[in-house]
Amino acid sequence: MYKKLRYFLMVAGVLLTSSIMAQNVTVSGTVTDGESGAPLPGANVIEKGTANGTSTDFDGNYTITVSGPSAILEFSSLGFTSTEVAVGSQRTINVTLNPDTELLDEVVVTALGIRKETKALGYSLTEVGGEELATIKQPNAINALQGKIAGVNISQNATGAAGSSRVIIRGSSSLTGNNQPLYVVDGIPISNENNGSASLWGGNDGGDGVSSLNPDEIESVSVLKGGAASALYGSRAANGVILVTTKAGQRRQGLGVEVSSQITFNRVNTDIQDFQTEYGQGRFGRKPANQEEAFDIGLSSWGARLDGSPVVQWDGVERPYSYVGSNLDHFYRTGTTFINTVALTSGSEQMNYRFAASDLTANDVVPNSKVNRKTFSLNAGANLGEKLTSQVNVKYILEEANNRPRLSDAPGNPNFTVLNLPPNVDVRTMDPGTNPDGTERQYSSNTFSQNPYFAAYNFRNEDVRNRLIASTTLRYDITDWLYLTGRAGIDHYTIRGTSVEPFGTAYRPLGAINENETRYTQIDADLILGVEKDITDKIGAVAFVGANSNHIKDEFLGQRGENFIVPGLEDVGNTQNQSRSRNFGERKIGSVYGSLELSYDNWAFITFTGRNDWFSTLSFPGKETPNDQFYPSANASLVLSDALDLPEPISFLKLRGGYSEVAGGAQEPYQLALTYQIFGQGHLGQPLGGINGNSVPNANLVPFNKSETEIGVDARFFNNRLGIDIAYYTNKTTNDIVPVTTSVASGYGSALANIGEVQNKGVELLLTGTPIQTADFRWNASFNLTFNEGKVLATNEEEGSIGLGEPRTRNVEIRQIVGEPYGVIYGVSYVRDDNGNIIYDIDSDGVPLAQIGERKILGEGVPPWIVGFSNTFTYKDFSLYFLIDGKFGGQIFSGTNTVAYGNGLHKATLEGRENGLTVSGIDGATGQPFTTTVDPENLQTYYGRINDIAEQFVEDSDFISFRQLSIGYSLPRNLLDRTFLQSVNVSLIGNNLFFLKRSVDNIDPESAYNVSNAQGLEYYGVPSSRGYGISLNAKF
Amino acid sequence: MKKSIYILVFAFLLGACDQGFEELNVNPLKPSQVGVDTKLTATLLHTSGGRYENWRANLIYQSTMMQHIAALPGYWSGDKYLWNMGYASSLMDRYYDSAVKSIEDMLVQLDEEGAPEEMKAITRILRVFIYSRLTDLYGDIPYSEAGKAVIAGILKPKYDPQSEIYADMLKELEESAAALGSGTSGFGSADIMFNGDQGKWKRFANSLMLRLGFRLIKVDPAGAQSWVTKAIAGGVMESNDDIAYIQHQLGPEGINKNGNGEVFTADGNPRMSKTFIDFLQAGNDPRLPILAARRGDGSTNPTDLIGLPNGLDSNLLMESTGEENTDNYAEPRRPLITAEDTPMFFQTYAEVEFLLAEAAVRWGLAGGDPVLHYNAGVRAAMKMLELYGPEAAIADADIDAYLAANPFDAANALEQINTQYWAATFLNEYEAFANWRRSGFPVLIPVNYPGNVTNGTIPRRLTYSTSEQSNNLENYNEAVSRQGPDALTTRVWWDVE
Repeated sequence: MYKKLRYFLMVAGVLLTSSIMAQNVTVSGTVTDGESGAPLPGANVIEKGTANGTSTDFDGNYTITVSGPSAILEFSSLGFTSTEVAVGSQRTINVTLNPDTELLDEVVVTALGIRKETKALGYSLTEVGGEELATIKQPNAINALQGKIAGVNISQNATGAAGSSRVIIRGSSSLTGNNQPLYVVDGIPISNENNGSASLWGGNDGGDGVSSLNPDEIESVSVLKGGAASALYGSRAANGVILVTTKAGQRRQGLGVEVSSQITFNRVNTDIQDFQTEYGQGRFGRKPANQEEAFDIGLSSWGARLDGSPVVQWDGVERPYSYVGSNLDHFYRTGTTFINTVALTSGSEQMNYRFAASDLTANDVVPNSKVNRKTFSLNAGANLGEKLTSQVNVKYILEEANNRPRLSDAPGNPNFTVLNLPPNVDVRTMDPGTNPDGTERQYSSNTFSQNPYFAAYNFRNEDVRNRLIASTTLRYDITDWLYLTGRAGIDHYTIRGTSVEPFGTAYRPLGAINENETRYTQIDADLILGVEKDITDKIGAVAFVGANSNHIKDEFLGQRGENFIVPGLEDVGNTQNQSRSRNFGERKIGSVYGSLELSYDNWAFITFTGRNDWFSTLSFPGKETPNDQFYPSANASLVLSDALDLPEPISFLKLRGGYSEVAGGAQEPYQLALTYQIFGQGHLGQPLGGINGNSVPNANLVPFNKSETEIGVDARFFNNRLGIDIAYYTNKTTNDIVPVTTSVASGYGSALANIGEVQNKGVELLLTGTPIQTADFRWNASFNLTFNEGKVLATNEEEGSIGLGEPRTRNVEIRQIVGEPYGVIYGVSYVRDDNGNIIYDIDSDGVPLAQIGERKILGEGVPPWIVGFSNTFTYKDFSLYFLIDGKFGGQIFSGTNTVAYGNGLHKATLEGRENGLTVSGIDGATGQPFTTTVDPENLQTYYGRINDIAEQFVEDSDFISFRQLSIGYSLPRNLLDRTFLQSVNVSLIGNNLFFLKRSVDNIDPESAYNVSNAQGLEYYGVPSSRGYGISLNAKF
Repeated sequence: MKKSIYILVFAFLLGACDQGFEELNVNPLKPSQVGVDTKLTATLLHTSGGRYENWRANLIYQSTMMQHIAALPGYWSGDKYLWNMGYASSLMDRYYDSAVKSIEDMLVQLDEEGAPEEMKAITRILRVFIYSRLTDLYGDIPYSEAGKAVIAGILKPKYDPQSEIYADMLKELEESAAALGSGTSGFGSADIMFNGDQGKWKRFANSLMLRLGFRLIKVDPAGAQSWVTKAIAGGVMESNDDIAYIQHQLGPEGINKNGNGEVFTADGNPRMSKTFIDFLQAGNDPRLPILAARRGDGSTNPTDLIGLPNGLDSNLLMESTGEENTDNYAEPRRPLITAEDTPMFFQTYAEVEFLLAEAAVRWGLAGGDPVLHYNAGVRAAMKMLELYGPEAAIADADIDAYLAANPFDAANALEQINTQYWAATFLNEYEAFANWRRSGFPVLIPVNYPGNVTNGTIPRRLTYSTSEQSNNLENYNEAVSRQGPDALTTRVWWDVE
């Protein structure tokens, strides 16, 4: 709109001035984009020092009549560095403008896809160019943002190559609800539902919705952090919004072709695990005496010192009692990821389009596990007449996953066995995982400790996702200041899954199969009436009112069969016991909203928004409490550097501030009333009935409300060589709808309360700079820091706490406790006297057994501090980029270390194996101090008890990671001039390369086994890996 | 003009913003109520229990503590008196949100619907059975306020003293038995235990009163005698036709299966305990080849059947016996005893006869002749095995021979009666454990595995759900302060030394 206004003024100026000029000279030419080589429409061409000017047409062509040969032409365009050219005798001047990412009049994509100058924004918004995601592409594109945006906490976790990621903006705002942002792609909200994740009892991560995006097709990503930015998306935006704009067709001569290709190799980061390699399988300090014992104690490393002598193992074979090397190296393979994209683009004045096809194959480090994703996208824009424009975006995604790795609990999880094997047992002795008759080759009497090869090759777990995301936008300009826009979109997918515990599985000898299909449809439609009008010379107004309807339907159909009749035929029809299930959910939100933005002299801006949402999930016949809520927002921005004369070093200074509210409903339908069910298939011909669900319903639920206040400063110095952006925010959620955990004896697991309160306070700091800049060399650095402190203020009337999740050890959990940080680690502690000495029970063998203490707060699972530091060095056609990121102040419970203590695999258990371990403490029976020596054969009893005490295994999760590295080379333009190629870039890339600092032993501090709100629990996810690769981009 | 059209359009949209929302939020797949009869069927199956708690509480802990079963691996915690908190609390973890929740809901529905008294009585009897299992295993438990999160909004139920729970349970049984007549109850064939037979429910109520009355023998002998007298007067089980048990099916789903059977499907480690096999061998017991078979080859030849000692691991086993192959030991006979469609016994006629025998010995009740009741108990315990299938039938001649060789021994009556009771409650380990604590019989020699938490004594209870320390701390603490530490060695109220 500002652009338009400026053109209008310029054109008027040209008309006014041209008539009184003498010695006129007419100059024409073409302005092109220095990066893409495409013509640059709408660029400004101005005769310096005059009001005389024009702008380029759709083909980048311009013609201007200037006062004479001495005139100087200024070429400028938003987002590009300006250039001046003296006219002299030239009558054709072709100019190339280079993009300037640091230009102050940056235009960003804001809510509802509206492009705004950053200086008009009264809130914090970070836009990241698509190249940030495309340089080092990841199977889940959004992971590439980790460490790059202040205020955004991205956790990749140990969910496998195609697993989900957790993205949290400005802290979690709901105690138990979904806290991840709303993803809006080309104006349409898409589903980011998790297709299954691992829990206490294991399972695998089925990937999330946002991973469908092809990183090569992303034009830009705008992160709308605050509520102010999100108010226009309504309740679904309470956690912030990530707006993804995909690439559109560009006006150009002929057909443009872009090709990009990346291959990466991943190796498990074996160095992370540092277990003892001195004592072998056995118990009580002895080697296994026979096969039976070796089989019984499968994973116990409480044996004798490794001495190379022949000792029988689980399979009856005698092997040297010596260290066999890292079983991680033996079992995991080199993962490979191939990402290839071809895009075709073209455009004319009437229409433009871009078609892209992409293929991604990620072979996980876990053998036999892979994901293939094909995406096809078509973006087309058309002018359907003078006043009517249309835009259509269609994406089709076909994703096929084979054996997503099982995580957490042992059954079916190869990681569990591989990470626990005694130092003298080589995992390769378990290959193949089957006996000649096809049954599992058990290595242990515990049927739930799976042979890892059987888990990897015989368990089946496949899913195919077909997804269509389509949207269309029509805009009708009623007058030059009044328009009507309609937009409708659909996100529809089906996931067809099959999982098989095969015939011959040790813990399920006859096997089982699940076949299921999930269908999801979200339809979202907006109608907006908008006004853009300058009221006076200095006062401008932009306003709109709109209505939105959002409708989500999901359905699950499943059938299960247990006990195969014909071994090897894996079909539900071939099972003795068959069952089926169906789930269905439907919910709608209706909304009306409006926005008014006023500007004064292009340096003062104020925006008001208001919205009312109605929630079907809060509606029920006869309900008396409201099912809707109105919520407002206001924010303002003052560009002091435009308003005042500031000292020279300050090139830009903006103050901003805002207040916003957003309301939300229950996330799931049917929570207001108790329902019953007929379940199962009856018994002896009698039907089975009972209560449906395990949560106490609440008939009076009302919307929750999240309010946020934000202030910030954006300042740039020394001709923009140094920039600083600081934001402070505080947000608070009230009336949060939470299932408060109830006593097991209440008959239910939880009760829905509606008075939960969570607060987040935080600071975001972004420092950008260009320390060195010469003609050939440039160093850009960017440092961001995030601090967020989340706090639980209320749960229910009784201030009950809320269990979010627990690991298989079951001695610790993540809880919401009133007055404490969000999601504390709460678990079994030591019992101590007043001086902090540990109290023990001394058993009949004289072994001190630490007393099992109360559950206590042992840490917080979400690190409050996040930093990211990226540097880009460019020298001529070479570039070097690296990213270091870190998180601090949080803790993690390590299940791996717990089990390693119990099994005698942890290095700490080495002490005392020869001569006994001296333990001092307080004898619980007498209350007196004691010092005793635990005999080597009793160490396992001593540590077996410590194993139960979660306090021992909660450690700081601090880390600094050397996250990304790329070394790039672009073929010089003059080399390409004579070819059909427009640009070619080759990069060597590295990902997750190493830790500069890591507090916790043996595990990656970011290896939680799921992306739920229960962060801070580690238990046998996929070990983290480092990636190396090469990436190629070409345009022609 | 145009403007007013837009305003109209928006006004229309506004009005339509929550059109149909109320109907949309009614779950189309789930009814707002179901027939109470369907709930009885489900509750009976919940009471029989799933694999989860039958594995952990019934088999891993109680069956090994009672030396019916033995197992070498360390996770068979009860075999070695180790403390696995999650296993110990498994009945509490599972019973409240299945059987308890459902039975409390049934009582409300029966009241609301003004159902016949006999239906309420049946429901109340089953309720007592459910809570008696819980309180016998844990002591003080949530009782009066349990399972009432929806009914009464109680999210943190208090723990009632076991003394009060017992008083109420016995009162409930008395009232319920009185409310039952003859003929078929309103539950009809949804009652998969007694097929609606009110008479059987009445005899079950009195038999349960007999059982629970006897539990008081150490803490309140007079009270015990009075309840036992009342139970006998009311009429207890009279034959194996009166046995309270659930007939399970092979499937199609977990709820249809016998929870113990599911364990034997998944876990090949349990063996017959040496203590139990030695008892069966010593008496030349015809039950031996029916209950046990050699793991390695399935042999049921009594001379092939060796029991595994409790409290060992494979190394200790080799040290003490020289045996390293556990396939040489007997296990519960597959599939006869271990199948997933076997019956699950709540209370048997045999148990009742043994209790009557004890009543006769102690107080001269039940006709005053313990021999008759003892013999009837042994006979019933052997005959009832045919519920496992025709292969498990024992010929009367074999029973006669057994009784002839092992006659009632008045000098040793209580030990003999209760040892038979123990043999008759194989796999119903809840009852075996409770009656062992009550009677002190059979005399079991405790094991002393390295690292055990009981100082080499047989546990006296199992421990509460650790989640209670997070979710119901005040009430949990109150129970612990009343009853004693939440440990395996703490005795419940009726189990005084």
